[in-house]
Amino acid sequence: MSTDSAHPYRIYWVTWAILLVITVGMLAAEKFHMPKWFLVGFLLTFMAVKAVMIAGNFMHLRFERRNLAVMVGAGIVVTSLILYAYVSQETARIMHLTPR
Amino acid sequence: MHAAETALESHWGGGTAPFGASWQKTMMWIFIVTDALLFSSLLTGYGFLRHASAVPWPDRTEVFSISFIALMTFILITSSVFMAIAVTAAQKGDLKLALRNVIFTIIGGAAFLGCQVYEWTKLIHEGARLTGAVPGSELATMGVPPIFTQAFFVLTGFHGSHVLSGLVILTVTAIRTSMKKTPPQGIEMAGLYWHFVDLVWVFIFTLFYLL
Repeated sequence: MSTDSAHPYRIYWVTWAILLVITVGMLAAEKFHMPKWFLVGFLLTFMAVKAVMIAGNFMHLRFERRNLAVMVGAGIVVTSLILYAYVSQETARIMHLTPR
Repeated sequence: MHAAETALESHWGGGTAPFGASWQKTMMWIFIVTDALLFSSLLTGYGFLRHASAVPWPDRTEVFSISFIALMTFILITSSVFMAIAVTAAQKGDLKLALRNVIFTIIGGAAFLGCQVYEWTKLIHEGARLTGAVPGSELATMGVPPIFTQAFFVLTGFHGSHVLSGLVILTVTAIRTSMKKTPPQGIEMAGLYWHFVDLVWVFIFTLFYLL
Protein backbone atom coordinates (compact mmCIF):
# COMPACT_ATOMS: atom_id res chain seq x y z
CA MET A 1 0.00 0.00 0.00
CA SER A 2 2.80 2.42 0.90
CA THR A 3 4.50 1.56 -2.40
CA ASP A 4 1.27 2.39 -4.22
CA SER A 5 1.00 5.80 -2.62
CA ALA A 6 4.70 6.52 -3.24
CA HIS A 7 4.37 5.55 -6.92
CA PRO A 8 0.69 6.12 -7.73
CA TYR A 9 1.25 5.93 -11.47
CA ARG A 10 3.35 2.76 -11.53
CA ILE A 11 0.31 0.48 -11.92
CA TYR A 12 -0.53 2.20 -15.22
CA TRP A 13 2.93 1.71 -16.70
CA VAL A 14 3.04 -1.91 -15.51
CA THR A 15 -0.38 -2.49 -17.12
CA TRP A 16 0.88 -0.79 -20.30
CA ALA A 17 3.95 -3.05 -20.40
CA ILE A 18 1.86 -6.21 -19.88
CA LEU A 19 -0.63 -5.11 -22.57
CA LEU A 20 2.21 -4.55 -25.01
CA VAL A 21 3.80 -7.93 -24.25
CA ILE A 22 0.42 -9.64 -24.76
CA THR A 23 -0.14 -7.75 -28.04
CA VAL A 24 3.29 -8.76 -29.34
CA GLY A 25 2.58 -12.35 -28.26
CA MET A 26 -0.73 -12.31 -30.12
CA LEU A 27 0.98 -10.98 -33.25
CA ALA A 28 3.75 -13.57 -33.02
CA ALA A 29 1.41 -16.51 -32.29
CA GLU A 30 0.71 -17.04 -35.97
CA LYS A 31 4.38 -17.73 -36.70
CA PHE A 32 4.35 -20.85 -34.54
CA HIS A 33 2.01 -22.76 -36.90
CA MET A 34 -0.22 -24.04 -34.13
CA PRO A 35 -3.55 -25.74 -34.88
CA LYS A 36 -6.28 -23.31 -35.92
CA TRP A 37 -8.53 -24.12 -32.93
CA PHE A 38 -5.64 -23.50 -30.53
CA LEU A 39 -4.68 -20.21 -32.20
CA VAL A 40 -8.29 -18.96 -32.05
CA GLY A 41 -8.56 -19.99 -28.38
CA PHE A 42 -5.22 -18.34 -27.60
CA LEU A 43 -6.17 -15.05 -29.28
CA LEU A 44 -9.66 -14.94 -27.71
CA THR A 45 -8.28 -15.71 -24.24
CA PHE A 46 -5.67 -12.97 -24.38
CA MET A 47 -8.18 -10.56 -25.90
CA ALA A 48 -10.31 -11.14 -22.78
CA VAL A 49 -7.26 -10.72 -20.52
CA LYS A 50 -6.46 -7.37 -22.15
CA ALA A 51 -10.07 -6.22 -21.81
CA VAL A 52 -10.16 -7.15 -18.11
CA MET A 53 -6.85 -5.34 -17.50
CA ILE A 54 -8.05 -2.15 -19.20
CA ALA A 55 -11.42 -2.21 -17.39
CA GLY A 56 -9.84 -3.15 -14.04
CA ASN A 57 -6.73 -0.99 -13.93
CA PHE A 58 -7.32 1.92 -16.33
CA MET A 59 -11.06 2.30 -15.72
CA HIS A 60 -10.59 1.51 -12.00
CA LEU A 61 -13.34 -1.10 -12.01
CA ARG A 62 -11.17 -3.18 -9.65
CA PHE A 63 -11.46 -0.44 -7.05
CA GLU A 64 -15.19 0.13 -7.38
CA ARG A 65 -17.88 -1.74 -5.49
CA ARG A 66 -18.05 -5.29 -6.82
CA ASN A 67 -21.72 -4.92 -7.72
CA LEU A 68 -20.90 -2.13 -10.17
CA ALA A 69 -18.37 -4.40 -11.86
CA VAL A 70 -20.93 -7.24 -11.93
CA MET A 71 -23.59 -4.96 -13.44
CA VAL A 72 -21.21 -3.83 -16.18
CA GLY A 73 -19.54 -7.19 -16.86
CA ALA A 74 -22.65 -9.37 -16.69
CA GLY A 75 -24.70 -6.85 -18.69
CA ILE A 76 -22.27 -6.89 -21.58
CA VAL A 77 -21.19 -10.55 -21.49
CA VAL A 78 -24.64 -12.15 -21.01
CA THR A 79 -26.36 -9.98 -23.63
CA SER A 80 -23.53 -10.61 -26.11
CA LEU A 81 -23.70 -14.37 -25.52
CA ILE A 82 -27.49 -14.44 -26.07
CA LEU A 83 -27.01 -12.42 -29.25
CA TYR A 84 -24.25 -14.71 -30.42
CA ALA A 85 -26.25 -17.86 -29.60
CA TYR A 86 -29.16 -16.52 -31.63
CA VAL A 87 -27.01 -15.56 -34.59
CA SER A 88 -24.84 -18.68 -34.61
CA GLN A 89 -27.90 -20.91 -35.20
CA GLU A 90 -28.82 -18.83 -38.23
CA THR A 91 -25.18 -18.93 -39.40
CA ALA A 92 -25.17 -22.73 -39.19
CA ARG A 93 -28.42 -22.87 -41.19
CA ILE A 94 -27.06 -20.57 -43.91
CA MET A 95 -23.69 -22.40 -44.03
CA HIS A 96 -25.66 -25.61 -44.55
CA LEU A 97 -27.67 -24.07 -47.39
CA THR A 98 -24.82 -22.26 -49.15
CA PRO A 99 -22.84 -24.31 -51.65
CA ARG A 100 -19.10 -24.08 -50.92
CA MET B 1 -35.47 -3.23 8.45
CA HIS B 2 -35.76 -6.81 7.18
CA ALA B 3 -32.64 -8.89 6.59
CA ALA B 4 -33.32 -8.88 2.83
CA GLU B 5 -33.57 -5.10 2.79
CA THR B 6 -30.36 -4.80 4.78
CA ALA B 7 -28.60 -7.08 2.31
CA LEU B 8 -29.98 -5.04 -0.59
CA GLU B 9 -28.87 -1.83 1.06
CA SER B 10 -25.32 -3.13 1.53
CA HIS B 11 -25.13 -4.22 -2.14
CA TRP B 12 -26.62 -1.00 -3.50
CA GLY B 13 -24.26 1.18 -1.56
CA GLY B 14 -26.95 3.51 -0.51
CA GLY B 15 -29.11 6.51 -1.09
CA THR B 16 -28.27 9.04 -3.76
CA ALA B 17 -24.96 7.39 -4.64
CA PRO B 18 -25.73 3.86 -5.89
CA PHE B 19 -22.77 1.47 -5.73
CA GLY B 20 -20.98 4.11 -3.68
CA ALA B 21 -20.26 5.98 -6.91
CA SER B 22 -21.38 9.47 -7.90
CA TRP B 23 -24.45 9.69 -10.14
CA GLN B 24 -22.20 10.98 -12.94
CA LYS B 25 -20.02 7.90 -12.76
CA THR B 26 -22.99 5.52 -12.53
CA MET B 27 -24.59 7.17 -15.57
CA MET B 28 -21.30 7.03 -17.48
CA TRP B 29 -21.04 3.29 -16.76
CA ILE B 30 -24.63 2.73 -17.92
CA PHE B 31 -23.80 4.65 -21.10
CA ILE B 32 -20.66 2.54 -21.58
CA VAL B 33 -22.70 -0.69 -21.22
CA THR B 34 -25.18 0.45 -23.88
CA ASP B 35 -22.39 1.60 -26.20
CA ALA B 36 -20.55 -1.69 -25.65
CA LEU B 37 -23.69 -3.54 -26.71
CA LEU B 38 -23.70 -1.53 -29.95
CA PHE B 39 -20.19 -2.77 -30.72
CA SER B 40 -21.11 -6.26 -29.52
CA SER B 41 -23.95 -6.30 -32.08
CA LEU B 42 -21.68 -5.00 -34.84
CA LEU B 43 -19.02 -7.62 -34.09
CA THR B 44 -21.60 -10.43 -33.86
CA GLY B 45 -23.06 -9.29 -37.19
CA TYR B 46 -19.56 -9.30 -38.66
CA GLY B 47 -18.96 -12.84 -37.37
CA PHE B 48 -22.27 -13.99 -38.83
CA LEU B 49 -21.55 -12.47 -42.25
CA ARG B 50 -18.00 -13.83 -42.27
CA HIS B 51 -19.04 -17.39 -41.46
CA ALA B 52 -22.05 -17.35 -43.77
CA SER B 53 -20.01 -15.95 -46.67
CA ALA B 54 -19.96 -18.28 -49.69
CA VAL B 55 -16.76 -16.56 -50.89
CA PRO B 56 -13.57 -17.46 -48.96
CA TRP B 57 -12.47 -14.74 -46.53
CA PRO B 58 -9.37 -12.94 -47.89
CA ASP B 59 -5.98 -13.27 -46.24
CA ARG B 60 -5.90 -10.22 -43.94
CA THR B 61 -2.08 -9.97 -44.21
CA GLU B 62 -2.44 -9.38 -47.97
CA VAL B 63 -5.04 -6.64 -47.49
CA PHE B 64 -3.62 -4.85 -44.43
CA SER B 65 -0.19 -4.05 -43.07
CA ILE B 66 -0.57 -5.78 -39.71
CA SER B 67 2.55 -4.09 -38.32
CA PHE B 68 0.92 -0.72 -39.08
CA ILE B 69 -2.24 -1.81 -37.24
CA ALA B 70 -0.01 -2.95 -34.35
CA LEU B 71 1.52 0.55 -34.29
CA MET B 72 -2.00 2.02 -34.06
CA THR B 73 -2.73 -0.32 -31.14
CA PHE B 74 0.50 0.78 -29.42
CA ILE B 75 -0.46 4.46 -29.84
CA LEU B 76 -3.96 3.92 -28.40
CA ILE B 77 -2.77 1.88 -25.41
CA THR B 78 -0.09 4.50 -24.65
CA SER B 79 -2.66 7.30 -24.83
CA SER B 80 -4.78 5.35 -22.33
CA VAL B 81 -1.87 5.35 -19.86
CA PHE B 82 -1.58 9.14 -20.12
CA MET B 83 -5.33 9.39 -19.52
CA ALA B 84 -5.17 7.14 -16.45
CA ILE B 85 -2.32 9.28 -15.05
CA ALA B 86 -4.35 12.45 -15.75
CA VAL B 87 -7.34 11.06 -13.80
CA THR B 88 -5.23 10.10 -10.77
CA ALA B 89 -3.32 13.40 -10.87
CA ALA B 90 -6.61 15.33 -10.95
CA GLN B 91 -7.92 13.34 -8.00
CA LYS B 92 -4.72 14.20 -6.10
CA GLY B 93 -5.22 17.89 -6.91
CA ASP B 94 -2.24 18.14 -9.29
CA LEU B 95 -4.09 19.91 -12.11
CA LYS B 96 -0.86 20.83 -13.92
CA LEU B 97 0.15 17.19 -14.30
CA ALA B 98 -3.44 16.26 -15.17
CA LEU B 99 -3.60 18.88 -17.93
CA ARG B 100 -0.23 17.83 -19.34
CA ASN B 101 -1.37 14.21 -19.55
CA VAL B 102 -4.75 15.10 -21.07
CA ILE B 103 -2.79 16.93 -23.78
CA PHE B 104 -0.54 13.86 -24.31
CA THR B 105 -3.73 11.78 -24.61
CA ILE B 106 -5.11 14.17 -27.24
CA ILE B 107 -1.85 13.91 -29.21
CA GLY B 108 -2.03 10.09 -29.05
CA GLY B 109 -5.68 10.07 -30.10
CA ALA B 110 -5.01 12.45 -32.99
CA ALA B 111 -2.09 10.25 -34.11
CA PHE B 112 -4.34 7.17 -34.02
CA LEU B 113 -7.02 8.95 -36.02
CA GLY B 114 -4.36 10.11 -38.52
CA CYS B 115 -3.25 6.48 -38.95
CA GLN B 116 -6.85 5.47 -39.52
CA VAL B 117 -7.32 8.18 -42.14
CA TYR B 118 -4.16 6.92 -43.86
CA GLU B 119 -5.41 3.31 -43.78
CA TRP B 120 -8.84 4.25 -45.16
CA THR B 121 -7.25 6.36 -47.92
CA LYS B 122 -4.90 3.52 -48.87
CA LEU B 123 -7.73 0.98 -49.06
CA ILE B 124 -10.02 3.33 -50.99
CA HIS B 125 -7.17 3.85 -53.51
CA GLU B 126 -6.94 0.07 -53.81
CA GLY B 127 -10.63 -0.07 -54.70
CA ALA B 128 -12.43 -0.57 -51.38
CA ARG B 129 -15.92 0.90 -51.17
CA LEU B 130 -18.77 0.45 -48.69
CA THR B 131 -20.58 -1.54 -51.38
CA GLY B 132 -17.59 -3.81 -52.13
CA ALA B 133 -14.40 -3.73 -54.18
CA VAL B 134 -14.51 -1.72 -57.42
CA PRO B 135 -14.48 -4.21 -60.37
CA GLY B 136 -10.98 -4.52 -61.84
CA SER B 137 -9.33 -2.91 -58.80
CA GLU B 138 -6.44 -4.41 -56.83
CA LEU B 139 -8.79 -5.67 -54.10
CA ALA B 140 -11.23 -7.15 -56.64
CA THR B 141 -8.43 -9.19 -58.22
CA MET B 142 -7.60 -10.51 -54.73
CA GLY B 143 -11.18 -11.79 -54.50
CA VAL B 144 -12.21 -9.51 -51.62
CA PRO B 145 -15.99 -9.99 -51.08
CA PRO B 146 -18.31 -7.00 -50.50
CA ILE B 147 -18.93 -8.23 -46.94
CA PHE B 148 -15.23 -7.70 -46.14
CA THR B 149 -15.14 -4.02 -47.14
CA GLN B 150 -18.54 -3.43 -45.52
CA ALA B 151 -17.38 -4.93 -42.22
CA PHE B 152 -14.13 -2.96 -42.43
CA PHE B 153 -15.74 0.43 -43.02
CA VAL B 154 -18.58 -0.10 -40.52
CA LEU B 155 -16.42 -1.45 -37.66
CA THR B 156 -13.49 0.93 -38.03
CA GLY B 157 -15.83 3.79 -38.96
CA PHE B 158 -17.91 3.42 -35.79
CA HIS B 159 -14.76 3.10 -33.72
CA GLY B 160 -13.11 6.05 -35.45
CA SER B 161 -16.18 8.22 -34.82
CA HIS B 162 -15.86 7.34 -31.13
CA VAL B 163 -12.18 8.34 -31.19
CA LEU B 164 -13.16 11.63 -32.84
CA SER B 165 -15.86 12.39 -30.27
CA GLY B 166 -13.39 11.38 -27.53
CA LEU B 167 -10.93 13.93 -28.89
CA VAL B 168 -13.61 16.64 -28.82
CA ILE B 169 -14.49 15.74 -25.20
CA LEU B 170 -10.79 15.73 -24.22
CA THR B 171 -10.12 19.06 -25.94
CA VAL B 172 -13.04 20.68 -24.11
CA THR B 173 -11.81 19.07 -20.86
CA ALA B 174 -8.26 20.38 -21.46
CA ILE B 175 -9.48 23.92 -22.14
CA ARG B 176 -11.75 23.88 -19.08
CA THR B 177 -8.98 22.39 -16.92
CA SER B 178 -6.56 25.15 -18.00
CA MET B 179 -9.25 27.64 -16.92
CA LYS B 180 -9.67 25.69 -13.64
CA LYS B 181 -13.33 25.12 -14.48
CA THR B 182 -13.30 21.29 -14.61
CA PRO B 183 -13.64 19.39 -11.34
CA PRO B 184 -11.50 16.22 -11.02
CA GLN B 185 -14.66 14.25 -11.73
CA GLY B 186 -14.92 15.84 -15.19
CA ILE B 187 -11.49 14.46 -16.10
CA GLU B 188 -12.49 11.08 -14.66
CA MET B 189 -15.62 10.90 -16.87
CA ALA B 190 -13.63 11.87 -19.97
CA GLY B 191 -11.09 9.21 -18.96
CA LEU B 192 -13.72 6.48 -18.65
CA TYR B 193 -14.93 7.25 -22.16
CA TRP B 194 -11.39 7.27 -23.55
CA HIS B 195 -10.50 3.92 -21.97
CA PHE B 196 -13.72 2.49 -23.38
CA VAL B 197 -12.58 3.53 -26.87
CA ASP B 198 -9.30 1.70 -26.19
CA LEU B 199 -11.22 -1.34 -24.90
CA VAL B 200 -13.33 -1.57 -28.06
CA TRP B 201 -10.18 -1.44 -30.18
CA VAL B 202 -8.84 -4.53 -28.35
CA PHE B 203 -11.85 -6.47 -29.69
CA ILE B 204 -11.73 -5.04 -33.22
CA PHE B 205 -7.97 -5.60 -33.43
CA THR B 206 -8.29 -9.26 -32.43
CA LEU B 207 -11.52 -10.23 -34.18
CA PHE B 208 -11.02 -8.34 -37.43
CA TYR B 209 -7.27 -7.98 -37.91
CA LEU B 210 -5.83 -11.05 -36.16
CA LEU B 211 -8.36 -13.83 -36.70
